[in-house]
Amino acid sequence: MKNVPRLLTILGVLLSVIGLVLWLGAAVDKGQPAYFWGLWLLVAAVGVHMVRVYLVSGRRELVDLIRRSARKMMVPLLGVGAAIVIGGILMLVTGYDPVRAYGALIYGGLVRNWHISVLNAAPLIFTALSVAFAFKAGLFNIGAEGQYYMGAMAATWLSLRLTLPGVVSIPLIFVFAGLFGVLWNIVPAYLKVRTGAHEVITTMMLAHTARYLSPIFIRANGGDPAFSTHPYVTDTIPETVWLPMFKDFLPRANYRVHTGILLAVVVALVIYYILYHTTIGFEIRAVGENKDAARAQGISVGKNIFRALLIAGFLAALAGFNQVNGLDHRLFENLQAGYGWNGISVALLAGGHPIGVVFTGLLWGTLDAGGQYMSRTTQTPSAIVEIVKGTILFLVVARYIYTAIGNWYRRRKQKKMIDSSIAAAEQVGA
Amino acid sequence: MFDYDLIVNLLVAMIRNATPIALAAVGAVICERSGIVNIAMEGIMIVGAFVAAIVAGATGNPWIGLLAAIFFGGFFSLLHAFATVSLHLDHVVSGAVINVLAMGITAYLMILIVGHPGTTESVPVSLGAYRWAIPGLSRIPILGRMFFDQTPIVYFSFILVAFFTWFLNRTKLGLHVRAAGEHPLALETIGVSVYKMRYFGVFVSGLVGGMAGAYLSIEGNVSFTEGMTGGRGFIAMAAMISGGWHPVGAFLAALFFGFADALQVRLQVFDTTNIPEELFIVLPYVLTVVAVAGLVRRSRPPKAVGTDFMIERTDD
Repeated sequence: MKNVPRLLTILGVLLSVIGLVLWLGAAVDKGQPAYFWGLWLLVAAVGVHMVRVYLVSGRRELVDLIRRSARKMMVPLLGVGAAIVIGGILMLVTGYDPVRAYGALIYGGLVRNWHISVLNAAPLIFTALSVAFAFKAGLFNIGAEGQYYMGAMAATWLSLRLTLPGVVSIPLIFVFAGLFGVLWNIVPAYLKVRTGAHEVITTMMLAHTARYLSPIFIRANGGDPAFSTHPYVTDTIPETVWLPMFKDFLPRANYRVHTGILLAVVVALVIYYILYHTTIGFEIRAVGENKDAARAQGISVGKNIFRALLIAGFLAALAGFNQVNGLDHRLFENLQAGYGWNGISVALLAGGHPIGVVFTGLLWGTLDAGGQYMSRTTQTPSAIVEIVKGTILFLVVARYIYTAIGNWYRRRKQKKMIDSSIAAAEQVGA
Repeated sequence: MFDYDLIVNLLVAMIRNATPIALAAVGAVICERSGIVNIAMEGIMIVGAFVAAIVAGATGNPWIGLLAAIFFGGFFSLLHAFATVSLHLDHVVSGAVINVLAMGITAYLMILIVGHPGTTESVPVSLGAYRWAIPGLSRIPILGRMFFDQTPIVYFSFILVAFFTWFLNRTKLGLHVRAAGEHPLALETIGVSVYKMRYFGVFVSGLVGGMAGAYLSIEGNVSFTEGMTGGRGFIAMAAMISGGWHPVGAFLAALFFGFADALQVRLQVFDTTNIPEELFIVLPYVLTVVAVAGLVRRSRPPKAVGTDFMIERTDD
């Protein structure tokens, strides 16, 4: 009997891992059930967790947990809901059918093209983790885009040259790509610590620099504007360094979906662990919360700022690794993708929480994939999705709006009460 | 190769490239002096550029386009003011969100009004057609071509730099704006609303940012292209910092970035070696980093910039 909670923990973890793999990996191909199984397994894992809490800490604790999670989810859900309504009104005003458009958006993003949603989400999770990590140190890594390019270039460069078996070379490329992101952030980190130059400006400028360096790199690695149909693309990297595909172990998965998304989830968990369960993470968060208090505690502010920006660079560069070794298997000159820029939104939406980033990354990926499907099938401009995204972001980030509404409501109620009591007193007096 | 004409052309191009940066930087100076960090400048410029091109195209009159850009830039910036002042949102976060919103709104309106993404149709008359050489002064060698033979918004930028310098240092309102950025509590104590001053600062930066956007689309160019701001809003931030949060300093720093940009284009054209052109394109960006690194230590930001100010209201 004593082992039941422990068994439940193991069961919950197992269920969530299998559920996650099925959910993320299995494309829905004409009602293919694996995707839904994955979702059900995830729901079951949550249920198991609740049972465990009930057994270990009792009923009150469970109710408390549910109440707390509900309160935490309230602002994001309200924001998403309100943004959808606002987007719908906008569509109605400009002459599109919101019901049809949203139907297509949800069907396309969550069912029909779920695999594209997952593919979109993976790089976003990496760049968002980067931004979120810097946030914890009170820094704004707005130039994740540049670190992404450095990572992509480094991954391509090494992938084209390495002739080791995949088991060895893939981790090597992973680290190599990450280190180039670190390298790209050394200058902003150094300047921030030494001269106080704001990282928003330095990382932003270096992001533009990295973007313009990519065509040079592509030309040097096989991109020949004179011959190929797509002018700016490198040679294809050998198959040994491709990330494993879901198709390798889930036969009915979509052929393009690679395991980069699982890697992203694992990295998110690692970052969560570093931030909340290690000394480094504690120091970084302390610096982010209050520099003076951290300094008074003997925590070096400069060292932790340096550290946080370098780790952020590493994480953003992994998005490049993910795209090159997982999806494209070569480097395109795709300056419009904007994974770095969008990663900022994803991180802000998650409030800088590493686990939250996984969900908001998936939400953003789904909105993108669904938006494309929507514009293809219902001729509604997919830019509406950008507006909905911006509105969600605003309504979630500006949490104070709910406090303000609450305050206003409370004041009104108080005033009414006072008024009515005054009226009652007057009546009694009369 | 480096003859007289070339150098004059380079300097004239410097002024032209510097104008949108200088305008945005001066706007950002007012905004930051009031205590609000404004990285939404990029988004405001996008909105201004878009509105200017659309309105100028529809009415056939670039002046109306310019007015519309100024108005909508200011209007759009109020969102930033609302978020940071009234909703107490972190300034940098709000700015980033507003940049995202600006991209989304212009992309959507682009489809709605123009019918396709990318570039709008050319405006019938651009403000570039109203180039005006000031009689007499424009005859001065080099300086005449640089400063007195220019297009309207370039002149406006000179005037605005002088005006805002006077405004910040010589007027009561300017003093209040500065106080909101240095010591908001003191300002509130003497009975001036910090909220109002900060709204005002952001609004001014929006007006000027809208004008900077209009320069990009209907004066330096004849149409609006998505992404045409190319990080100029952020370079303007760098100019503001390098210029020590002072309009004149910001203007001079903007001239420096304009020079880097003008030089970059000419180096590309005269490139006889095999250096890839992209290495020249990145020159302004790299110089921005260098400038910020070198000059930031000597300039002091307003004391309360980026900090939230909240008044507890007890009754309504």
